[in-house]
Amino acid sequence: MIYLLLIYEFFMIGLFSFGGGYATIPFLYHISEIYGWYSLDELTQMVAVASITPGPVGINTATYAGLKTSGILGSLLATTSEMIPSFILVIIVSKILNKFSENFYVKVLLETLKPIGCALLASVAVGLLKPTLYDYKAMILLGILILLSWRSKKDPLYYLLISGIVGILLRL
Amino acid sequence: MKISLLKLFLIFIKIGAILLGGGYVILPIMQSEFSEKRKLVTQEELVNYFALSQSLPGIIAANMTMFIGYKLRGKFGALSAMFGVIFVPFWCIVLLASVLGKFVNNTYVQGALWGVGVGVVAMIILTTREIWQKSNRTLYFYIIFLLSLISILIMKISPIQTIILFSISGILFKSFQRKRGINK
Repeated sequence: MIYLLLIYEFFMIGLFSFGGGYATIPFLYHISEIYGWYSLDELTQMVAVASITPGPVGINTATYAGLKTSGILGSLLATTSEMIPSFILVIIVSKILNKFSENFYVKVLLETLKPIGCALLASVAVGLLKPTLYDYKAMILLGILILLSWRSKKDPLYYLLISGIVGILLRL
Repeated sequence: MKISLLKLFLIFIKIGAILLGGGYVILPIMQSEFSEKRKLVTQEELVNYFALSQSLPGIIAANMTMFIGYKLRGKFGALSAMFGVIFVPFWCIVLLASVLGKFVNNTYVQGALWGVGVGVVAMIILTTREIWQKSNRTLYFYIIFLLSLISILIMKISPIQTIILFSISGILFKSFQRKRGINK
């Protein structure tokens, strides 16, 4: 039963997430809230690990979430279910490549998905910021990271490594 | 010249292994593998696929992988590319998760996880800003953005339901607008 839910949830993520690897986080956040397959702390840990291992972040988080939920089989199911919508969409789009981007409904859909995706991410940012408010060290580090990357953003990996090292140094 | 499914699988294992960081590095990697080294896909096609991959829903890297796999060897090509690209990342995660499980109580590991966790929050804020900046912010954009935010944050409607709700309303609204425009 848990496998079916897992397939369903990750298929939906693959179908509806929009705007790169971190765009899947709102869905993972929601899964954590309603099913409790992993805690919010574990979610940040998952995203962290997914960002520093090879492979697309959006797919790595699925692998990790599946693993947390129901072991290696869950991991394989979550990863592939998340990619199947791409498989279907790409085949359809490849066949009607030229007509696709001119279609009225496609245009409206893409125009609508952007603000929704933006709102989804903003809401996760708000959700994850709440626990940070009680941790002054986290607030300072967050402020510095945002200042550093505000003008010219480098690869996320770079900032995650810096913050990881800061985290270790604070414990020394 | 046709590439074998096995070869495709192997090339994508390599791509999955060297793909680090955001999905945006996938274009240069694909260019060197498929356009420069093997001349299987032209530069122009790759850029086209990349633009489409970003405008389609789903993981950008997954879309890109499927486009190339499908172009080279059809449905099975797409599948073998898919299993190739997740191969190394998959085992990395499984391994790291089990190792992490053993060391998670170590104070330095906890420190690193705390730090990277803060970094992730920063990255989410920056990604939000990036999508915001890249979008064509019309009145329509602001309205949908605000309504979605209310729907998720205040009304606690799930992301998928929010997406379905506003996509359908958006299409209905725009169709209505278009119809009125034609009638005038």
